[in-house]
Amino acid sequence: MIEVKNLSFTYKEGSAPTVRDVSLSIPDGQFVGITGAAGSGKSTLTYAFNGIIPHCYPGDFYGSVLIDGKDTVETSLTDISRMVGSVCQDIDSQIVSSVVEDEMLYGLENFGVPATEIEPRMDEALDAMGISDLKYCNIASLSGGQKQKVAVAAILALRPRVLVLDEPTAELDPASSHAVFALLRDYASKRGITVIVIEQKIALMSEFADRLIIVKKGGILLDGTPAEVLENAELLQAEGINCPRATSLGNELAKRNLYAGPACRNVADALRACEIALGFEAAGANDAQAKLGAPSPAEGGQA
Amino acid sequence: MNGFLEYVPGDSFLHKMNPVAKLAVALLMVFACFITPSFMVLGLILVIDFFMAYSCGMIKQTLGLSKAVAGFSVILALIALLSTPEGLLLVALPWGYIGSESVLAAIRIVLRLVAAAVPLFLVFYVTKLNDLANSLVKVCHVPYKYAFVFTSTVHFIPVFMNDMAGIMEAQTARGVEFDGGFLKKLRLMVPLCVPLLVSSVRKTNSAAIAAEVRGFNLRTRTSGYKEYPFVASDYLYMLFALLLLAASIVSSALGVLF
Amino acid sequence: MIEFRNVSASYVAEHALLKDVSFTIGKGEFVAFVGTNGAGKSTTMRLCNGLLKPMAGAVLVDGKPTTELKTSELARKVGFLFQNPDRQICCSTVRDELEFSFKAQGKLDDAARAKVDAAIERFGFDPDAEPYLLNRGTRQLLALASIIVTEPPVIILDEPTTGLDYLECVKVMEVIRDLHEQGHTVIMVCHDMEVVADYADRLIAMTRGSLVAEGPTDEILRNREVLSRADLIAPQCISIAQALCNRHPELKATAIANARTVEDLVAAIEEIRGASPCAGAANASAGTDAANGAVLPGASSSQEVR
Repeated sequence: MIEVKNLSFTYKEGSAPTVRDVSLSIPDGQFVGITGAAGSGKSTLTYAFNGIIPHCYPGDFYGSVLIDGKDTVETSLTDISRMVGSVCQDIDSQIVSSVVEDEMLYGLENFGVPATEIEPRMDEALDAMGISDLKYCNIASLSGGQKQKVAVAAILALRPRVLVLDEPTAELDPASSHAVFALLRDYASKRGITVIVIEQKIALMSEFADRLIIVKKGGILLDGTPAEVLENAELLQAEGINCPRATSLGNELAKRNLYAGPACRNVADALRACEIALGFEAAGANDAQAKLGAPSPAEGGQA
Repeated sequence: MNGFLEYVPGDSFLHKMNPVAKLAVALLMVFACFITPSFMVLGLILVIDFFMAYSCGMIKQTLGLSKAVAGFSVILALIALLSTPEGLLLVALPWGYIGSESVLAAIRIVLRLVAAAVPLFLVFYVTKLNDLANSLVKVCHVPYKYAFVFTSTVHFIPVFMNDMAGIMEAQTARGVEFDGGFLKKLRLMVPLCVPLLVSSVRKTNSAAIAAEVRGFNLRTRTSGYKEYPFVASDYLYMLFALLLLAASIVSSALGVLF
Repeated sequence: MIEFRNVSASYVAEHALLKDVSFTIGKGEFVAFVGTNGAGKSTTMRLCNGLLKPMAGAVLVDGKPTTELKTSELARKVGFLFQNPDRQICCSTVRDELEFSFKAQGKLDDAARAKVDAAIERFGFDPDAEPYLLNRGTRQLLALASIIVTEPPVIILDEPTTGLDYLECVKVMEVIRDLHEQGHTVIMVCHDMEVVADYADRLIAMTRGSLVAEGPTDEILRNREVLSRADLIAPQCISIAQALCNRHPELKATAIANARTVEDLVAAIEEIRGASPCAGAANASAGTDAANGAVLPGASSSQEVR
């Protein structure tokens, strides 16, 4: 459980607050997607969740952030990181080792994970990210996308209660990005881990996240389920945030009175909207959702 | 893509040795090189050097590095040659002369530096940096902070080299011609250090944060997962290196020059 | 313009990243390379302007192998925008940065200065600004401007929109579209399939260092077999159109089958509703009809669905 109360933060060198009067609460096991235009303060907001502000950057910190009831200002960064695992934007600077295995070990060793658990946890995380074959590779020889997977795996292995990821799929191809988001959704829903992701890829967040938060000039512009947030397509557009095409399609149909359901989050929703617009009965839509909910490349062969 | 002094995976005897033992042996050999004036001992060490390089499949790298070290030490040797007028007069110079002793001293410098450099290089080629640092922390009780500073410094070398290569590539694509003489290359590269510096400063700052949020401060001597026990062969190897050192000391004490 | 003849290439001798790749890109084309991480797309881009020379085969730019062209000649013909603008930007003001491209190619004259002025005007840059203090999107635009200011006939873009927000992405892509319309050849690597579908005319799909398929954007994006082999995901509108046609085969004869954008789909749906003889018929029958696949479904009135 994360409670943010009236949080404002101004960097020491900044004149205006980067985060302004933000209040929100995130229950355990929620998958939260945060997005916003460049410079909207979304990264700084996540620094509040993992304690990087106020612990690493000097500035004026008002309000409070409570993680499981512990005030981040009064808790040391090390103790915060026992609960919150973070993957930052610049992967090269996050990596401390030269070999994947050592990179995985680093956090596990530091947090005193018992030796018998280390190996299984490491293998599980590598496997979850689909990079078991890279275990003994030299990190310098990996591609940007592979490094990104290593960085995420290293954090997953720590099994934190909260995961904070800043653009974890920036370098990944569509299939891998899709897989990472599906994995994060499972971590949230099956293991009760709170997942907070910053991304520009709104289509993926709409499809997988439980909640979307749109940040504008350090404040929260919209906050709700993806369907609720995507209702405000015009507002999003004005803020330079592109709705998924599926949403635009649903909204266009709604404008023409051809569809009247909730905003479409993904292909399956939009497919249903089209069927309704075309006059096919909505019956069987659940079936459609099951089939098309995740148009993964694996089922690409189906005709 | 293996860079300079970067770990090369393998399972040779040297790879499997205890990292501390490797470092100890390398250091003993370095001492031996610097103590002995004897060409024979130096030659013996060189032979051992290359035998070790061969045993772990690192001959190519070792030859390359030896060449580089030799090139560098030739400069030092030349200085010694021209500035230490000793032994029989061979060539007269305006400020003195080049003597037979000066020639020997110069050759000794080259041999000594190459012979001393190879074992150290090999340590880096056959040991994962993390193993080296962790075993130093575990076995020798080196404070973890120092070990971390050391490993992250070395770890960042390929990162920066990669950055520099990327920057040069981007400039080449714009038409800057880096091929050509060393001075020309240097002149073209200096302005590019600005972007490199900017990205380095950013990186080190966020690297410190990233390490901290992964429990850097919690780490103690016993945190390391891997154990680094000494086995008989490690002791044996170190004993051998000690014998080399003894030979070198004896040769020095006896004044054996060849 | 650019031709690959049985090209193999690698960075380290033992491990070939590209295996026997052949294709031709003509003048004025807008081609996008798609595929997973590590498929060899960036390697292909580097080969296009001679940053990497082929191990076997030949890469021809304007009929000449890259191995025979000088760096500056290549830079004049083929501009290259890297993913990370910070590797490209090396001067202390925006104007210097733009002029540097001419200097590097050895021809900073009055005509060049006029072009720099025009670029500053067009992009709305502050010529005296310090590039490192600009935000990421503006830096990307500056990097792009400094590449196109010398007007290379071919422009290569390696993931030009990564790390940008939507507005910045549109700004960059609009500049690229303009260039294409002015007759420049554009070659792009891009992971964002929506961007690819919106801008590129032709796609080349790669996997593990080989070509999977090439063809018009629409054709490739509709080919599920190609998409699955290259591990790609079709843009949402095409997925929706295909799913509709699969679930209701009678739609295959309508404009939905060829729809590619939101507008296409909306127009097609409206057309079907308008043309349908049983428009306004009861919903129940529409469903049954659809299930039988006999006739086009009648329009359901959305009020009733509500």
